[in-house]
Amino acid sequence: MEAHPLPYSPDLTERLGQRARELRCDVVRLVAATGQGYVQQGLGAADLFAALYGAELRYRPQEPAWPERDRFFLSTAHNSAVFGAALAQNGLMARELMLSYCQDGSTYEINMSERLGSVVEATCGSLGQGLSVAVGAALAARMRQGRTPRCYVMLGDGELQEGQVWEAAMAAGHYALDNLCMIVDWNRMQVQGHVDEVMRMDPIPDKFRAFNWAVREIDGHDMDAILQALAWARATQGKPSLILARTLVGKGAPSLEGIFGHNMKLPAEMARRALEELGAPAPAAEGVAP
Amino acid sequence: MTVQERIAADDLKVGDFIARGAAEALPRAYGEALLAAAGRHPELVCLCADLTLSTETDLFQERYPERFFHAGIAEANMMGMAAGMARSGHIAFAHTFSVFATRRAYDQVAMQVAYPRTAVKIAGFLPGLTTLLGVSHQAIDDVALMRALPNMAIVEPATAEQIPAIVEAACLRDGPVYLRMRRAARAHRPELARAEFAFGKGRVLREGRDAVIFACGLMVASALDAADALAAQGVDVAVVDLASIKPLDTELVRAMAARCRVVVTAENHSIVGGLGSAVAECLAEEGGAAPLRRVGVRDVFAEGGSTPYLMKKYGLDAEAIAAAVRDGLAAGRGAA
Repeated sequence: MEAHPLPYSPDLTERLGQRARELRCDVVRLVAATGQGYVQQGLGAADLFAALYGAELRYRPQEPAWPERDRFFLSTAHNSAVFGAALAQNGLMARELMLSYCQDGSTYEINMSERLGSVVEATCGSLGQGLSVAVGAALAARMRQGRTPRCYVMLGDGELQEGQVWEAAMAAGHYALDNLCMIVDWNRMQVQGHVDEVMRMDPIPDKFRAFNWAVREIDGHDMDAILQALAWARATQGKPSLILARTLVGKGAPSLEGIFGHNMKLPAEMARRALEELGAPAPAAEGVAP
Repeated sequence: MTVQERIAADDLKVGDFIARGAAEALPRAYGEALLAAAGRHPELVCLCADLTLSTETDLFQERYPERFFHAGIAEANMMGMAAGMARSGHIAFAHTFSVFATRRAYDQVAMQVAYPRTAVKIAGFLPGLTTLLGVSHQAIDDVALMRALPNMAIVEPATAEQIPAIVEAACLRDGPVYLRMRRAARAHRPELARAEFAFGKGRVLREGRDAVIFACGLMVASALDAADALAAQGVDVAVVDLASIKPLDTELVRAMAARCRVVVTAENHSIVGGLGSAVAECLAEEGGAAPLRRVGVRDVFAEGGSTPYLMKKYGLDAEAIAAAVRDGLAAGRGAA
């Protein structure tokens, strides 16, 4: 919203926590409708999306292409259920459109594309590309007269294996892009399993510090920590900032927590149970069959 | 100091692989055209992957340092950065060698430039065989790759004279453009001194009844040389410059082919997927029956060497073009 970023308050934390829970319910509903998808990542990143769209990013729901808006790039474009749910929750996508997720002909695809509109700032999905585009947008933002929009980009930790990420990290550090904030959804999961077993990425903070980034590690489910980290990133000068957010796949639904499944099957019974655990209202009230 | 000594001394400091060995200072037609365009378009920005001299963008860097961005030796990221800037309202010219703009950054070009039609203008140098640097630097498949991307326009100027019009047309065109260019001396033929350019328009440089040669880039001058040689043997050959490789002037291609007995294409590129393929596709769909001969790199990797040497060795010089015309005419007679 235009009044963002919201000042910190305990009340805000509570409200965003509630909104994250609603996002999680939508993630389960959306993925359940197709029977399989990125439910684990969506549940894991829900707190980050609740904070970004509920308190941090500046935008106008009635004017999505507002030139002074902050830019948000989802480089892990497959994490689409939670992204779309966040857009719908904040008036950037119609709820009916959200409910057409993954249906043939829908502009809301499983890999978010700009067919959906300007709220998708770039079509990613081919991993490793989002940070480069965000670097270009941040450079352009700095050339603007007046307010400098901030640029946010979310990557997965597995995605850091792509060489292009390090080219972009080098450029962001070189250009000292302090209007750029990268959030790494540090869930340790990639298709083939645990990131550090497939291709070791640790120590991630040291790698980015060496590229002239300011780095902060947080618990990606601690709303206070998320808000404080976003405020820290805003106050950081002379360097791009990286928020390494430790997240748990499946977070919020104990029956799904910690299960590694990149594109996981979600049969109706599992979905029903997860929604129950999340305290969702009865399915009939929403009109979506889980 | 002799000319050779002066060139050797220059080689030590210019750091420009293209200028090296040139008999005279190369004109900086592209660099100057970009500067002029930057004056007309304040939103124009310039990115370069560590090749300012070879891409003539040192001129831009000097004049507009606040609009110039080093990408370093990192072409994939450069394409993404350029797209990010284009999405923010800029016209982003991204510079490197043709081979790296395509092979190395193809996915980035596809997803961040071609698919979203961002205003990214990719300027690639060292087209085809025109470099000493050998197989790693020779772009023999860049046109094929770019042509396969929806939304991508491809232009290869025949001469330096055409470049200002091409750069301006690229600025005015919505969406991406791939400029495939060679630093070279100015044209010595009067037909090539004309400067006009429009996307989707070819230009007939010479009329002829027996055969037509469709060419682009430096092959246009060779095609004219071949036509001269054939004229001396009583063969009347038309020459068409198809600088706009995509969109192709299909109307002109069909009309010229219909008037001639043989069609020859000439490109400094593989015969797979480039101008020859584009012309062949166009004529085959029309049902054209004239024999077709494609002059180009015949599906092989080449080697480093001087341009005249490589053009001769790989069958891309004027003599090879003339031979292709004669061969096509002989085949046509055989069929009749």
